[in-house]
This record gives sequence, structure tokens and C-alpha cells, in this order.
Amino acid sequence: MTAGLSLHGVHLSRGAITALRGVDLAVRRGELLVVLGPSGAGKSSLLRAIAGLDAVTGGTVAIGGRDVTALRPGLRGVSMVFQSYSLLPHLTVADNIAFGHRIRGADRRAAAARAAQAAAAVGCGDLLARRPHQLSGGERQRVALARALVREPEVFLLDEPLANLDAALRTSMRTEIRAVHDRLGATTVYVTHDQSEAMALGDRIAVLRDGRIEQVDTPDGVWHRPRTRFVASFVGAPGMTLLPGDGPLRLPGVEATAVELGVRPEHVTLTSAGGTAGPLGEVARVEVLGEDALVHVRLGGHALTARVPARTRPAPGDRVAVGVAAEHLHAFDKVTGERIPLPAGADRAAAR
Amino acid sequence: MSRERRQLVLMLAPFLAGLVVLVLLPAAATLAMAFTETDLIATSRFIGVANFVELTRDPAVRAAVGNSLSYLAFSVPLRLVIAVALALLLHRRARGAGTARAAVLLPGAVPELAYGLMWLWLLNPIQGPVNQLLLLGGQGGRTVFGTLPPQWLTDPEDARAGIVLMSLFTIGETFVIVLTARLALPPEAYELAELEGARAGQVLRRVTLPLLAPVLAVLVLRDTVLSLQASFVPTLVVTNGGPPPYATTYLSLVIYQEAFEYLRYGYAAAVAALTLGLTAVAVLIQWRLLRRWAAHGLVGMGAHRPGS
Repeated sequence: MTAGLSLHGVHLSRGAITALRGVDLAVRRGELLVVLGPSGAGKSSLLRAIAGLDAVTGGTVAIGGRDVTALRPGLRGVSMVFQSYSLLPHLTVADNIAFGHRIRGADRRAAAARAAQAAAAVGCGDLLARRPHQLSGGERQRVALARALVREPEVFLLDEPLANLDAALRTSMRTEIRAVHDRLGATTVYVTHDQSEAMALGDRIAVLRDGRIEQVDTPDGVWHRPRTRFVASFVGAPGMTLLPGDGPLRLPGVEATAVELGVRPEHVTLTSAGGTAGPLGEVARVEVLGEDALVHVRLGGHALTARVPARTRPAPGDRVAVGVAAEHLHAFDKVTGERIPLPAGADRAAAR
Repeated sequence: MSRERRQLVLMLAPFLAGLVVLVLLPAAATLAMAFTETDLIATSRFIGVANFVELTRDPAVRAAVGNSLSYLAFSVPLRLVIAVALALLLHRRARGAGTARAAVLLPGAVPELAYGLMWLWLLNPIQGPVNQLLLLGGQGGRTVFGTLPPQWLTDPEDARAGIVLMSLFTIGETFVIVLTARLALPPEAYELAELEGARAGQVLRRVTLPLLAPVLAVLVLRDTVLSLQASFVPTLVVTNGGPPPYATTYLSLVIYQEAFEYLRYGYAAAVAALTLGLTAVAVLIQWRLLRRWAAHGLVGMGAHRPGS
């Protein structure tokens, strides 16, 4: 593995606030790593530590195998896209993109040529003469991307770049960002709090919580093998339902009182009561999301969410039998929240 | 009239009434008076443009126009540069920054008259602290460089410089506005510059000043308007227009003297009209310059909106 970017034991605190508590992270050259976490998890702090905008209070940051912990931001070879885009209002799009090259002493014409190239690469080549206030949100986003790309950075940092866009644009821009990344292959760290964005974009996802990394894995890995209870409940829309191990769902082979069991709404089946075996529950609420419906079921004093086809959804008040295949149950240590490997040969366990 | 319109008019009414009664009507009356001979004793008499003709020949007015323009040329840019420098120096949180900010504001809080009297003492050529300071290390009544210290109250050039010097400490308002504007600039713009490895000078030239430019432009226009009037109290108290004949006679002083010392209200009104005209011309020239610079992207006159 070629090291694009690596962090070892990075701590970051300012005054009484500790943003990062020992972060280890390795990003391969050319990889797109998404840092996912709720607000306040330290995502932006992580980017700022990589960029050098905030000095780390412990640990090391290395870019391309070179220890940059003590280097100024300008010497690290990183560029960044801010959530607010941060375009300079007095400069045209071309000059905004050329800003860095001009700072580093490139002559006007060379910088303008590079800017035009970068703008074309992200599809804003026709906006070069405009000013930021004449651009839409999506266009500003493109310009900010071009400005970050033009420098051909070793590491490319994006801080919630789509957060200010409306939903439709967000989806199309994320596809484009992925396409640009695939074309240029820059090592990229992309911060977001939106788990669907993370799943769609990332080669791998690092889930951050409270200044610590909970899991680094492929989107598949994060989805199917969440390493902690937090990852299980944070990833997914909605995330896993967590129930006590001695609750309505049981998993043979694990100590029922020491675990919590998680199940994705997608893996819960609901059948009308009286048919197949399975604990009975009562439908409390139904949210229709187009093709699917989220069904909130009261189950022996607990709440459980199922995602079922909208056409076959039960109605509020219906009695339903809840079915979950054992291979879709995840066990987490009740105290530490860590994943407990499933015992081999566990089969259907939804029945009490 | 729609409801909103009626409400708008109602809410604006007190201000508009004040503007008309206290500013526009007196201004119109003054302008009318400029074509009369008025001494508030005899009945005033219409004399056409005689006052304006006299203006052009009056040595006091000629000197005052020159003095006022030179005051404007030195005072406005120097005041702005100092205020901006102090604001950029003191915008960060640091030990003593609060005290220093208060200190910058303080001279502006001194009543003008007291401020003038204080400078009368400060600029005293013999006991005045300013010259005492300048004489430090020098010998035989000369400065370290062997030159004579400025004769603030008796030499025409030095007196004019003294009036400008006095104006450089009452920059509190400008300072506060620049300080606030600087604090409102987006930190990302600076982080961006930092990531590109910009040096302090580049940050100032390519980020701070262009982003502040719209505010600075307004401040220049405002200070220009003010400076044609602000020279009044110091010249009255400190130099009384001298050294003779008219070294520090500014337009504002001429108006005062003609009206309240010589009781020539009509003539004073004509000088006031001239001052207004000069102000308008100065503002117009600056405005056109700024517009041209803005068109070339040298200053950020465009509104900067959140998120841009």
C-alpha cells in the first residue's frame, strides 16, 4: 500500500475542548476516503489537522511518506474545498481559480491557462469571466472544486462540500465529484455527516465519533459488519434497531444479558399475525417513502423499525409477526459497544 | 396606497419631517441668503451674485480654498491609513488588545473644544510636550538631526501640519468601522490563503484590502465630507486662522468669521455654498474613481453575500 496520507495518534485540543483523541488513519494514494460522523464528532478538525490549519497537540501527520506535522499549511501540498466555498467576491471565476498560482508567483498568463484547464475539467469552463455573486450554488461549488484541483495537490480535502446545495443537486454533484476523482486520481479525504453520501462516494469510510475513529472499512463492510453499536445505528436511513439481547429477539450462542442485538430495517420481515412463527408486535406508525415504507412496530415494550415494500405494508394498529434471519442479527457488547462475532451455525433465531 | 406603503411612510415620517425642517429648509434659506446682504439688523437686500463675485477676489477665501483642499489631501488618506493599520493590528484577541482599542477611541471622546485647548498646550513651541519630545537627544535647541523643531503656531507650513496632526488622533469611528468589517470577513478566505502559502503582505494585498474595499470606499467619502468641516474648532481655538494672514484659515473658519464676527450673513452663506460645491466635486471625483476601479476588479465593490 502506497501511503497517500497517514495519521498516527493525532490529538487535537484547543483550550478545554478536545476535538481529536488519538486518530490513526491511513489513506492510500489515489483513494477517496470519506470521513463520516455526526456534527461535533471532529470531522472538520480532522481535515484542519491534515491541512495544518490547526496545529495538532499530539501524534504525526504524514503526506506521501513525508512527515508534515511541523510544516505550515502552504508547504503540505494539500488543497481544500470549504463548505462555504470561500470564493473571493472581488475576483472573477478565472482569478479565483488562479489565486493560488498567482500567490506562488506564476505569471498571469500561465496561471490563467491553468485555471481555464481546471475549470474545464469540472465543467465550469464557461463561467470564467463571471463574479461569484453571479453564480448559483452548484456553480460556486464547481469553481471551488476547480480552484482546489488546479494546484494538483497531493491530498485533496473536502469539507462537507455539498451541504449547502439542494437535494437534487447534491445527488448529481456527488456523482460528478466521484467522476472527477476517478479521472484525476488524487488522494482525497471527504468529510460529510450524510451517510448516504458516504456510502455512494467512498472507496472506504472512516466513521468518526467523539474524536475517535470507530471503524474504517469499505461501504459494504460498514454496512454489513459495523464494528460498534454506534456505527450500526449511525449508518443507514434509518440505522439499525438495537434491542437488548434478552428482549424479543434472541440469538443462540451469545450471552443474552451481556449483548445488544442490532437489525437493519431492511432485514425485518413482517407477516400478518397467526401465520408463521415469530414474536408478535403491533404497528405503531407507518411512513411511506415511495417504493418502500418504514413501519414502526411496538414489540414487547420495545420499538423496532422495518423497511417493507409500500404495496404490502400493514396499517397502524395491525398485529404482525416479526421475522429476522439470524445471519442478519448483529451482536454488540452491552458495555463496550464492540461487535461480537456471531457464533458459527446460528440459524433462525427470531423465535423465542 | 397599499398597507405596507402606508406603514413605510408613517415610519419614515418623523425622520423625513426632521430632515425637511432642520436640514433642507435651512439649507435652502442659506442658499437664498447668499444672494442678499443680511446683517440681521437692517432689512436684508437682494444683491444678485455680488457675494459670489466678491468671493473670487477675496484673499481670505482664496487662501481658505487652498488650505481646505490641502488639509483634505493630507488628512483623509493619513487618517484612513492609520485607522486601517490600527484595526488590523488590534482585531485579534490578544493581551492588551481591548485596552489598546479603547485607547484609540479615547481622543474622539474628548469634547472638541477641550481637545483643541489640549493641543494648544501640546504644540507650544517651548513648553509643549511635542517639541520637548522632538528635542530629546538634540543640543542647543535643535533635534537629534540638527534641525530646528517645528514652530507649530508661528510658521505657516508647520501650523498647517499641526492641524493635520491633530486630526490624526480622532479616528475612533473609522477605526471601529474597519475593525468590525475586518472581524466580519470570512475566516475561510484567510485559511485559503494560508493553504496556498501566502505571505503576510500577499494576504493584505489580495485578501484583506479587496474584501474591505467597499467599506473603505464609504469611509473615504464620509471622511472627505467631514474634513471640510472638521478643521473648524482646532483652527478657531489653536491657531485662530493664523499665523497671519491666512495660514490656517479654512473655509469653515471663514464662514464663522464672516457671519458671527463681521455679521455678513449673506456673504457667509455664499462661502457656505462654495464649501458645499467643493465637497460635492470632491465626492464626485472619488466616486467616479472608485467606480472605474471596481469595473477593473481592483476593489470589491460588489456586494459580498454569505456563502460566496
